[in-house]
Amino acid sequence: MLLPWEYGVRNLARRPVRTGLTLLALATVVMLVFVVVGFIRGLEQSLSVSGDDDVVLVYSVNSEENIENSSIAARSPALLSASLGGTWKRFGVDHVSPELYLGTRVSTSDQENGLGLVRGVTYRAPLVRRNVKIIDGAWPEQNEVIVGRLASAKLGSHSDALAIGQTIQFEGETWTVSGHFAADGAAYESEIWCDLSAFQTVTKRQDLSLVAMLLAPGASAAEIELFCKERTDLELRALRESDYYASLQQHYRPVRLLAWFVVALVSGAGVFAGLNMMYGAVAGRIRELATLQALGFRRRAILLSLVQEGVLLAAAASLLSGVIALTMLNGLAVRFTMGAFTLRIDSVAILVGCGVGLLLGVLGALPPALKALRESVAISLKAV
Amino acid sequence: MRMMNWICVAVLAVVVGCGEKPTAEGPDAAEVAAASALYVAEAEPEGAVGVGEARESVETDQAVTLVGRIGGSSKPFVEGLAAFTIVDPKVPYCADDEGCPTPWDYCCTQPQVKENIATVKVVDADGGPVAFDARKLLNVKELSTVVVQGTANRDDQGNLTVAANKVFVRAE
Repeated sequence: MLLPWEYGVRNLARRPVRTGLTLLALATVVMLVFVVVGFIRGLEQSLSVSGDDDVVLVYSVNSEENIENSSIAARSPALLSASLGGTWKRFGVDHVSPELYLGTRVSTSDQENGLGLVRGVTYRAPLVRRNVKIIDGAWPEQNEVIVGRLASAKLGSHSDALAIGQTIQFEGETWTVSGHFAADGAAYESEIWCDLSAFQTVTKRQDLSLVAMLLAPGASAAEIELFCKERTDLELRALRESDYYASLQQHYRPVRLLAWFVVALVSGAGVFAGLNMMYGAVAGRIRELATLQALGFRRRAILLSLVQEGVLLAAAASLLSGVIALTMLNGLAVRFTMGAFTLRIDSVAILVGCGVGLLLGVLGALPPALKALRESVAISLKAV
Repeated sequence: MRMMNWICVAVLAVVVGCGEKPTAEGPDAAEVAAASALYVAEAEPEGAVGVGEARESVETDQAVTLVGRIGGSSKPFVEGLAAFTIVDPKVPYCADDEGCPTPWDYCCTQPQVKENIATVKVVDADGGPVAFDARKLLNVKELSTVVVQGTANRDDQGNLTVAANKVFVRAE
């Protein structure tokens, strides 16, 4: 015969302070799990949505995997357009975007010399980067910039410092913010975009970092790659944008593994915290448990009731943390080397967080309950 | 029992939901083998010259037989096409004991590579590049030594491309 469900529920209410503290400890552990898993999912999401299968990046073969180190001739876009027929063309405009990409010190009204990512672009950039949307303001003119949704997070600055009409300084020049853009969470959201020729002038550079090309339907990236192999004098390489960001995923693999290791460590610490709490809770109830046995309840039934208490508490803690994570953590901007991204409390994060929470309830309750029930009824009834 | 059913449904939903997207299927082994028979030479062609020598003497549309090692960059193969770069065998690459993870990029001898590199594209009867990955089509890998027969194409910058119709792979 099992103990009534209400018995376990009422037991939780009998010691409100202890129950409250246990709830708080469990909720803290689950919250930490949500933060770390949200970080991993946000990083993965940012890199996975950044790459477009139909966009090919052409950059210097000597820059390895880092576009910031790339330097290619300014004539490359014209040469590529003239030599290859596989790029998208509408209304006489080739969807080929020449870009100069640089990590540089950026000063805003509230932050001196923050490390920002600046991309010099032409009006063709949004034709190629199809997920870029201007959410307010206008496309930048000379000495103006349009900033990504997460640029302020990357700079460590307040979003008001990048409001339309505000000025920022980089490369010895003052630039006025003309608008803001979003890109479905892609990496460019942490960038500052300005006019390519103006950016080349202030940086005293005539070269480009890369050329982004949008493939026409049915065209293959291999044609561009073959062109780059044939023109060995240009020292170019071509890579699908999705493959570029997939390689970054590989680059950040140790970070992600470390984060999962942190999840395991936090969960382990949580189990010990739960064990400590439950040992304390059960130690004071040895006579009560023995009485239940004397009344005829089997050990298995009492064990189940104790696990039920632990799981109920852990479930409540998971729910509490889940609500806080969804309302306060989800979408929170995080600064990172490659730019910035948002914490993402998605289905996987919820599953892992709540799973860890429930596991804490079961694993935390089992050992103390087994220990308490191991003693004979006669000895337990005399326990102090 | 009903609870067990629900648990099974939930587990199935998670497994199906978390499954990887099906990937686009590549050419099957039979297709590759059939194409391979067309382009792989059984015997080594005679009179092969090194890439460096060919770059000095060969003109556009001239029939050539070149010998070279696959390499010249960290990724010498073109994904999805039977095309790759070769480097003259006289150019040394990093020895095994140097511990270089990509010796085929000739990182220690790049200045020599510039004058000793050619692009090979295996072409079909219409002159278009064959749409199979060279690694599968020719059963080659980085630093494999190949002898290619085909037609040369030179441009004003001195780049050499060979539209190959036969490739012989030397045993290592």
